[in-house]
Amino acid sequence: MGEEKKITGRKNVILCAISVLVLCILLFPLFWTLITSLKTEKEIFQYPPTFYPHVLNTKSYAAQVETGDFNMFKSFANSFLISLGAMLIAVVLAVPASYAIAKYRFRGRKIMLLFFLVTQMLPVSVLLTPMFIMFKGMHVYNTWWSAIFADATIGIPFSVLILKNYFASIPKDLEEAAYLDGCSRFGAFMRILVPVAKPGIVVCAVFSFLYAWGDLAYGMTFILDQQKRPITAGIFNFMGQYGTRWSYLSAFAIVTIIPVALVFIFMQKYIIAGMTNGAVKG
Amino acid sequence: MSKIRRFFQHENAGLLFALPACIYMIVFVGYPILSNIMLSLQDVTVMNLSRGEKHFIGLANYMKLFKDGVFLKSMSNTLVFTVSCLVFQFLIGFALALFLNRNFRFAKAVRGLLMIPWMIPMTVTALVFKLLFATDIGVVNYILHSMHLITKNVEWLTSSKTAMLVVIIANVWIGIPFNTILLSTGLTTIPTELYESAAIDGANSRQSFFRITLPLLRPTIESVLVLGFIYTFKVYDLVYVMTSGGPVNSTHLLSTYSYKQSFELFNYSMGSAVANVLLLILLLVGIIYLRITLQGEEDM
Repeated sequence: MGEEKKITGRKNVILCAISVLVLCILLFPLFWTLITSLKTEKEIFQYPPTFYPHVLNTKSYAAQVETGDFNMFKSFANSFLISLGAMLIAVVLAVPASYAIAKYRFRGRKIMLLFFLVTQMLPVSVLLTPMFIMFKGMHVYNTWWSAIFADATIGIPFSVLILKNYFASIPKDLEEAAYLDGCSRFGAFMRILVPVAKPGIVVCAVFSFLYAWGDLAYGMTFILDQQKRPITAGIFNFMGQYGTRWSYLSAFAIVTIIPVALVFIFMQKYIIAGMTNGAVKG
Repeated sequence: MSKIRRFFQHENAGLLFALPACIYMIVFVGYPILSNIMLSLQDVTVMNLSRGEKHFIGLANYMKLFKDGVFLKSMSNTLVFTVSCLVFQFLIGFALALFLNRNFRFAKAVRGLLMIPWMIPMTVTALVFKLLFATDIGVVNYILHSMHLITKNVEWLTSSKTAMLVVIIANVWIGIPFNTILLSTGLTTIPTELYESAAIDGANSRQSFFRITLPLLRPTIESVLVLGFIYTFKVYDLVYVMTSGGPVNSTHLLSTYSYKQSFELFNYSMGSAVANVLLLILLLVGIIYLRITLQGEEDM
């Protein structure tokens, strides 16, 4: 794996300038949403549009806590709980499963792997209707559980496929040393392998959380009470009711992005690893 | 105690570790898929769901679909949407990957920041693009106006001629980072010595692109395109929030039409029939994906 020699001098400056320009173009939609959320309704409808808020308006954020109409922070908390639940289920189930697939040569291992690969590419649309009927039968319809159960099905196959590579890359010697020290296979798994695979487990946890956080279809279909719905469904509702209240709508958008932004800032390295491992190698 | 220990040494103990995840997926994914197939062969609507009176009607739902104009429209829409998104996100993503793999100062940071669109919930992306392409206050209309490209505000999302275009643009925006990151990871695995020796042999940059970069990147390109297809073909949230399939069905995809049948018209069986058609096409392409990944598995 080679790397090109460092580009210096004028060429470096030009390439940097172009890259900043590209970035500005690509991220412009988000910038525009952010400044729209800080404008007054009047300024939003002004022509020509202003490229920064001339009158700073933070009411769109504050109003949501006070009015009972659609409480943004309540929805935020719902989303948080649902995503956390889905994440926990995914990690707790995927860690041992991926370890088994990577380190044991049991019968049916290949079929299991195939099963996870197939489930990973399934469309939400195929699962919505039968899950809806199933959740009604299980009496979890219209509770957080329905969304948690459904969202975990996205995180599990993804996590199994990523972690399998992590466990496979841990050298045998490490495990064998543990056996020599008197560890059982289960003990070696808990005390040696899990800690070593921690970066991979973090990637899985983060992605399982983000998948659930971004879900609209499940949350919207399985939960009817606005009080219990995730923030994505809240935004969608609100768009239907107040289609042109752009200051409110863009404030929601920004609040919904916050966890994503935090994850991005603190875990960028992990995310790139997850994206490339998960997708290319499966 | 030693019995337990011996059991864990045995290879089949692996099953025990894997079982909980498998059971979960069979209950919440495997079973729904099977029941979806059954459902599509019955006549379940909101009328008889709770009473439990359902009749087996064979392939009647599918026959009905292939005479349904909206379904056929959704089919061709899905195809147009998927192919256009794939082409544009791949070309732009590839160009960016080549550019950002040059070793200049900001390259790494910009590559990282580029990922943001990919991570944002699709509902938010949909809202963002609705805002940009709004007819009266949309900044896109303003920019086109000031460049004298249009004289009258375009009704992007409320006209059946342009709605699909906007939906495609929004989805390409999401897809670019994915393509860029995967392709640029692929690019870093090509040894630089190859380019150096090619340059010594007098190859120009075009030649080395077509003779070195493209052939060596082929496996990555294949998986990027196949994965891109799988992700794009099943897109639901984005389109549902932006247009709900309208105006006049011009942006209905198989996914949104399935949703409409099940949860707006309450024809659950019809909804699952549409979803099964979507699944079937996806699995056909998915086989290519499985072949690629399982091939890699052999080396493990």
